[in-house]
Amino acid sequence: MGKITLYGVDASPPVRACKLTLAALGLPYDFVVVNLMEREHLSEAYLKKNPQHTVPMLEDDGACIWDSHAIICYLVSKYAKDDSLYPKDLLKRAVVDQRLYFESGVVFTNALRSITAPIFMHGIKVVPKERIQAITEVYDFLETFLKDNDYIAGDHLTIADFSVVSTVTSLPVFLEIDAAKYVKLTAWIKRLEKLPYYSENSVGVQQFFGLIKNLGITVEA
Amino acid sequence: MVLVLYGTEVSAPVRAVLLTLRALELEHEFQEVDLTAGDHLKPDYVSKNPQHTVPTLQDGGAYIWDSHAIMGYLVQKYAKDDALYPREPLQRAIVDQRLHFESSALSVRWKQLKHLLFEEKVTELPIEKLHETYALLELFLDGHEYMAGDQLTIADFSIVTSVSTAHLSIAPVDATKYPNLSAWLTRISSLPFYEQANSIGARRMAELVRAKLPKQFDKLWQKAFEDIKSGAGKI
Repeated sequence: MGKITLYGVDASPPVRACKLTLAALGLPYDFVVVNLMEREHLSEAYLKKNPQHTVPMLEDDGACIWDSHAIICYLVSKYAKDDSLYPKDLLKRAVVDQRLYFESGVVFTNALRSITAPIFMHGIKVVPKERIQAITEVYDFLETFLKDNDYIAGDHLTIADFSVVSTVTSLPVFLEIDAAKYVKLTAWIKRLEKLPYYSENSVGVQQFFGLIKNLGITVEA
Repeated sequence: MVLVLYGTEVSAPVRAVLLTLRALELEHEFQEVDLTAGDHLKPDYVSKNPQHTVPTLQDGGAYIWDSHAIMGYLVQKYAKDDALYPREPLQRAIVDQRLHFESSALSVRWKQLKHLLFEEKVTELPIEKLHETYALLELFLDGHEYMAGDQLTIADFSIVTSVSTAHLSIAPVDATKYPNLSAWLTRISSLPFYEQANSIGARRMAELVRAKLPKQFDKLWQKAFEDIKSGAGKI
């Protein structure tokens, strides 16, 4: 097995999804911090490896892969001892895949990034109401997905849980999860918090919260 | 085995599944879901797909949704080989990244633009965001004929449906600015099943968008549609 290097920052939810997966697989790796504020992701060296200049990026024995969802699927396919984290059964896999695409589109891009991009790139200090509505929709859908399941894609832990939890635990800095309204969602987060390697997510969540709070961001009433 | 695709052809992700079904020569039924009539919000549909989006695929007694998940499922289950969705982990990772790029950068931006146009009645659309996406697609195609490398994959099907819709409506792909992307669009649109599976629906969607835009755009659309009719821009 060649050397695995993960590039990113702990505050970034998709980076944390990769860290959770690497920890679940027990894979050793180097972590290289890419300082986004210092625009390190836009350096010539980084752009050569990842023309989309996002984090996370994974380097495995010279090959560069990006997009957290592609990375975590790759890691399980290549290194896992069994397929429980990313089932080979096609119907079960289709459910995990749907949750992963839900995460990349509805959760990360439409809910989170639509708020953070204006904050980090244009210095916006107030989050518009419709962006908060987008978060509510995420919580509503996840509550539905968890209706008959203990985990986000079915009855056992998969990479979909890692992907979704990293972003969903970052959203409460803008809209708290009402534990009375979202019973299943709250229970699912608590279930994942019990994972022995959960600090791979929780440490970064605190950093992300700190980042937002230090910028004095408020939500439109 | 009965495959039923639920959706409507103006929807880009529905067309991506149609392209895949055609490429795999899979017989299927098509069940129209009228979004303007709220068919997708009716209890019968929501029981199949609680996210109430289109497309949804029915395979026997199972229901699968999200176009990207459906496409991957269809190739893995029914294709004679893995060319459209390679099994090798590294090659697959590239296709997966392109599919998630479509699901985030393309699809979400397009949905947000549609929301501005159809719901908020905004006609000054921030199309520069689409151009940022075109610029990245141009880079992905650098040195390659297809979106994920040297072979056609479901990444091409997924991306062409949203790009063609944007191209025909509010953000034409300028061949001098985006030579790779323009050549790729022509290449994909030459597939024998492209006209039926994507072109018709993309043009219908473009017309719906065009109808909402101010009259000063009319000359532009007139020229674009004339080009299409004459075959000059065979998309």
